[in-house]
Amino acid sequence: MSVLQVEGLTRDYGGGRGVFDLSFSVDQGEVFGFLGPNGAGKTTTIRHLMGFIRPRGGACRINGLDCWRERTRIQRSLGYIPGEISFFDDMTGEEFLRFLERYRGVSAANRKKELLDRFELQPRGKIKKMSKGMKQKLGIAAAFLHDPQILLLDEPTSGLDPLMQNRFLQLLEEEKGRGKTILLSSHIFEEVERSCDRVGIIRSGRMVATDSVETLRGRHVRRYTVTLATPEEAAAFAEDFGGTCRGREATVTARQTLESIFLHYYGGEGESHESDAV
Amino acid sequence: MNLTLYKRELRGSVRLLVIFGAVMTMYVAIIMTMYEPEMMALLDSYAQALPELMAAVGMTAGATDLLGFMISYLYGFILLVFPMVFSILRGNALVARYVDQGSMVYLTAAPVGRGTIALTQAGVLISGNLLLLGYTTALELGVARGSFPGELPVGELLAVNAGLLCLHLFIGGICFFFSCLCSDTRYSLALGAGIPALMYVLQMLANAGEAAEKARYFTFFTLYDPTGLAAGEAGAVAGSLVLLLGAAVLYAGGVTAFCKKDLHI
Repeated sequence: MSVLQVEGLTRDYGGGRGVFDLSFSVDQGEVFGFLGPNGAGKTTTIRHLMGFIRPRGGACRINGLDCWRERTRIQRSLGYIPGEISFFDDMTGEEFLRFLERYRGVSAANRKKELLDRFELQPRGKIKKMSKGMKQKLGIAAAFLHDPQILLLDEPTSGLDPLMQNRFLQLLEEEKGRGKTILLSSHIFEEVERSCDRVGIIRSGRMVATDSVETLRGRHVRRYTVTLATPEEAAAFAEDFGGTCRGREATVTARQTLESIFLHYYGGEGESHESDAV
Repeated sequence: MNLTLYKRELRGSVRLLVIFGAVMTMYVAIIMTMYEPEMMALLDSYAQALPELMAAVGMTAGATDLLGFMISYLYGFILLVFPMVFSILRGNALVARYVDQGSMVYLTAAPVGRGTIALTQAGVLISGNLLLLGYTTALELGVARGSFPGELPVGELLAVNAGLLCLHLFIGGICFFFSCLCSDTRYSLALGAGIPALMYVLQMLANAGEAAEKARYFTFFTLYDPTGLAAGEAGAVAGSLVLLLGAAVLYAGGVTAFCKKDLHI
């Protein structure tokens, strides 16, 4: 069953910006990656799903409810990480989380502690003084605090160090295991590849492709098998380049850069890379 | 109304309330205690020396009782301008600034409707005005009791201040309406502060000179007539009621605008 549905969504900001006749859906328990460069329309789409913006054409539905008209009802089961996070600067992190609990009318002491421990966040300081990464962690805690069924995450790992990015992706995996429906927008292919079941690629406000991650990987990951002089050399080679080895053969993979993937979909210079096996 | 939000925002008003309360305490106390023949003669001599300037801010000579004296020297400038600045600052901060900064995300990304958010913020602004004018009334009664027992007719003062409340609810309504309508604090402030300020300038012009007397038809401050309210004139009461009605329309319009607009946050 589709939890998130976007049908023919159109919002023209002029100058080619906005979203145009955008359609996709995300099923219950699915993690959908929303991949595209800056300014492609990812945030605009998510704002429509959040009920912040009224669609000028088409519709967005969550659990069958219209995202604009029924936004208050929908919000009960929604968690959101904005792409551009802005809190109440006068509060400390702790005060902010407590405010959100009371404001939403939930109590989530255990969940809060678990999230803070997981991301090693001590939210005692004023938000104004926090670093970008700390603010991002606070934003994550705020989004998961009330244990929502549906998560709309707009570039959630921006500003996090690799260790914390990993912890975040682990959290997503756990949430997925608990049947959550997740929309993850990103411009980082590896992140989407690791965590998502399906990926939609958006360009200039239009969905240019929706594929399963396997298909995408098959199309954009090149694999090389080389034969070396000795098994030891093969093992060392495999280790250095993050591949696998079998006897004197080592297999390594090379990911295309996001740029070339986009170029492929955007019909850039007409080079289409197929997966090669040597 | 969301009580959690209401409490947070009321706390956010406290600093401004204390500052404006303190300034108004000083002015009200000083001016009221000047109600004695010698000081009145001094003030009246100012009014005669600089008739246009003094008249522009509503200060005219020749008051014969304490309330008339207060109306002349407090209700033309101090009690109009200070609560007005409070409404401008708070009105802008309660909605437009959150939208402009983006922290409105956390208020709207929750099962709290936009109508509830806007009504709560309206409630905060109205509460601020009530507190400020309630305090002023208590202060005036206190000073009068201490310095001039029996000289201030309580009923008439309450009528004058009830009208003043209607005026400030109307001004707050203007600030709130544009705070809800504009997503950019620049425009919210330009309109929310600009319109009341312009109206006040017109009022000053109308007070000052015969030539500009027609300006009084173009400013809502004319609807507030403290002398008329003290005398219980029907026209003055009607003016205050018009202001009150206008305030209701502006607040309702603000809430509606906020519910319907696109939030690019």
